[in-house]
Amino acid sequence: MNEYVERVSSQLRERYGNEPEYLQSVLTWLEMIAPAVDRSPVYERRDLLTRMAEPERIVSFLVPWTDDSGAAHTNHGYRVQFNSAIGPYKGGLRFHPSVNPGIVKFLGFEQTYKNALTGLPIGGAAGGADFDPRGRSSREVMRFCQSYMIELFRYIGADTDVPAGDIGVGAREIGYLYGEYKRLTSRAETSALTGKGLTYGGSMIRLEAAGFGAVYFLCRMLEHAGESIQGKRIAVSGFGNMSWGVCRKAAELGAKVVTLSGPDGYVFDPDGVTTQEKFDFMAQMRASGRDRVEEYADRFGVEFHAGKKPWEVPVDIAMPCATQNELDVDDAVLLLSNDVKYYVEGANMPATAPALKLLRLSSKIRVAGAKTAGCGGVAVSALEMVQNSLRYSWSREEVDSRLRAIMNGIYDASIAAAQQFGLGDDLVAGNDLAGFLKVSEAMLAQGL
Amino acid sequence: MNFQNPYLTGLMERVERRNPAEPEFHQAVREVLQSLDPVVTARPEFIQEGVMECLVEPERIIKFRVPWEDDAGHIHVNRGFRIQFNSAIGPYKGGLRFHPSVNESIIMFLGFEQIFKNSLTGLPIGGGKGGADFDPKGKSDAEVMRFCQSFMSELYKYIGPDTDVPAGDIGVGGREIGYLFGQYKRLRNEFSGVLTGKGLTFGGSLARTEATGYGVCYFADNMLRAAGKSFEGRNVVISGSGNVAIYACEKAFALGGKVLAMSDSGGYIYDKNGIDLPLIKQIKEVDRKRISEYLTVHPQAEYHQGCRDVWQIPCDIAMPCATQNELDETAAKALIKNGCFAVVEASNMPCTPEAVEAIQAAGLLFAPSKAANAGGVATSALEMSQNSMRFSWSFEEVDEKLKGIMADIYRNSSEAAATYGMAGNLLAGANIAGFMKVADSMLAYGLV
Repeated sequence: MNEYVERVSSQLRERYGNEPEYLQSVLTWLEMIAPAVDRSPVYERRDLLTRMAEPERIVSFLVPWTDDSGAAHTNHGYRVQFNSAIGPYKGGLRFHPSVNPGIVKFLGFEQTYKNALTGLPIGGAAGGADFDPRGRSSREVMRFCQSYMIELFRYIGADTDVPAGDIGVGAREIGYLYGEYKRLTSRAETSALTGKGLTYGGSMIRLEAAGFGAVYFLCRMLEHAGESIQGKRIAVSGFGNMSWGVCRKAAELGAKVVTLSGPDGYVFDPDGVTTQEKFDFMAQMRASGRDRVEEYADRFGVEFHAGKKPWEVPVDIAMPCATQNELDVDDAVLLLSNDVKYYVEGANMPATAPALKLLRLSSKIRVAGAKTAGCGGVAVSALEMVQNSLRYSWSREEVDSRLRAIMNGIYDASIAAAQQFGLGDDLVAGNDLAGFLKVSEAMLAQGL
Repeated sequence: MNFQNPYLTGLMERVERRNPAEPEFHQAVREVLQSLDPVVTARPEFIQEGVMECLVEPERIIKFRVPWEDDAGHIHVNRGFRIQFNSAIGPYKGGLRFHPSVNESIIMFLGFEQIFKNSLTGLPIGGGKGGADFDPKGKSDAEVMRFCQSFMSELYKYIGPDTDVPAGDIGVGGREIGYLFGQYKRLRNEFSGVLTGKGLTFGGSLARTEATGYGVCYFADNMLRAAGKSFEGRNVVISGSGNVAIYACEKAFALGGKVLAMSDSGGYIYDKNGIDLPLIKQIKEVDRKRISEYLTVHPQAEYHQGCRDVWQIPCDIAMPCATQNELDETAAKALIKNGCFAVVEASNMPCTPEAVEAIQAAGLLFAPSKAANAGGVATSALEMSQNSMRFSWSFEEVDEKLKGIMADIYRNSSEAAATYGMAGNLLAGANIAGFMKVADSMLAYGLV
């Protein structure tokens, strides 16, 4: 491999050995973009890889708050402003006990290159706190969000950094965060946050965007292979926002999602998650905060497989939509032996590095990474910023058709880059290369 | 030359007294005031309310030192300028020029002209100009970057997307704008439309490269059609082979004209079969060679050293696209004698005052640069629009808007000339139309 890539990789390994998720995503990326680095000495001369692999700024702060009984708690808040070469920093906030600097860095890194391909002017960032909203009253969540924003507000803004939701940060949290931001700044600067409610600057389709986008991307892949989504069976993991959107759009287009999963196991619904009643039940399960998918099996009388993952079910298409590293080499082998034809990532980095490699190098299955197929959410977030900047809202149809055009554009750009480097239709490598070329061009142009 | 209105005679004297040793500025003010002579007589409130007095005095002049280090470690100090001339109809807007000839008079003259040109575009941009007596020629990329960073370290205090939006000019192209933008973003932690002429990966507009040349032809087309003529089947002579010349040539061909000649600083090519534009683009944009190379592919064409005689070629439409004062009285008389019926100024002030007088006296159609080449700054303003909405238009959308803007500029200039008894005099019409919008806004604000 390229010597400069090797050197940066080993420096990162030495320095960030304690941040495995970040290291995994950045090292995989370096391997993918090495062919581009081979082509010009300018990247090394300007030490571009270090600047692309590491964040421009990390803000780390304490978040003190009181619970309903008056007891004080202190959480750890973060904002990683990863890269602003092509637009203001943009990326979600995650409130979850597992949040630590390494996780936030990993998310910020992925976000940078995900955002680059949407064609919209957004840089990359991520943030959050090790706070667990589950089991907390709305008042407690509100107090936490207010305390969090009292620190965060000095680092964000419509032209600087625009946070959105992620795990644990939904419409309720965004509402509290925006309210506090508005109070502190005395500005109705709606595009300082996205994922807002429809009454105060939110966009149509925002909730469905992630799942819809992934299915639009899948459709483009199928179209390219001369196939259609009609009648296809899809295995989905997770039952959150991404999975919900995927089920809805797949059903609308004549396909069916036959599995959902949670920390407790997976359900197999041979008729498919295709009715409004089932969609609504998914939303209820998520809102309940119990984090159990077995309730779906109880409600609709389908099989529940405790402690297992859905990848053992023979399907045409597999879409991991739950969380990072949920799919390992054994699961990948299972997909291949079941003759699954398409593997489309909805969650961020759902496959371990060896699992992704195995799938990517197999000629039996077409692979789309999270940085391509998982862009729908952030694409509509960026469209929310556009509408806020215009001080005008688009109809549902307008947003939806722009989302579809963006997903098609990401597919086309990834394929074009793969072909440019003689990698055929490798969407994962193509996507990384296309994102790399765009961000590096902007960074080179802007100097040191 | 004297003024009919005695107030203007006094005003001109005060301008000369107050700004000694600024001959370029005096000349520009004189030209505009001459066009406005009938206007101030018809609208005495412009005098009574102090509009004329304020118009010739910039709102603000900023002069600063720019220290920087060359690659050998030597220290250099240049002088930087930003003149914020008039913000009545929008944020100050105008280019930065890096050239050894830059001094206060040059920047004053350019900033003053910019007010009227910007106003003509119909877009919300005021007038400004800036630069430094720094010569990027012969400097390394790293030196240019350090200079740009030092320049911006002072300039950033005075600019912003709602305050002042600089662009490129001589010596400030894509490379310099990139470095300036990078430093602004770093100092302010803000990604916004603070500069125009940006690269496409970080907020630039499609069609900007083509805009000035295309716009010149759109303007000319409107002027020709109003006179019952068109480009169709007409012979065109173009001087220059830079950006403006190349895209003016491309559009002239597209509109049915036949371009017979183009030039560079060494000499000119005369090709009776019509210029081979793809070859010119190859020579100038890719190989960066002399235009005489043209003969290696088309030996039947003629190459003549020196550029003066390019206007001796018989043609219907002459489009000077090279530099200021390139078309003098002798050249004008040759054009007239050879039956040329339209002179379209594409570069800034290419015709000497004597040439303009001869052209207008002979009854030729004359398109003044202030109006005809406003397509460049108009597209800069469209880049600002796109940055403000955080969304990009396609090439066709930008081109379509440019076409509409140029048609409006022609109509407004032509109507203004007719209203004040100078029908057909687009030079006076452009000055008047540009002035009216600014002056009415200044009246509305009172003394500020």
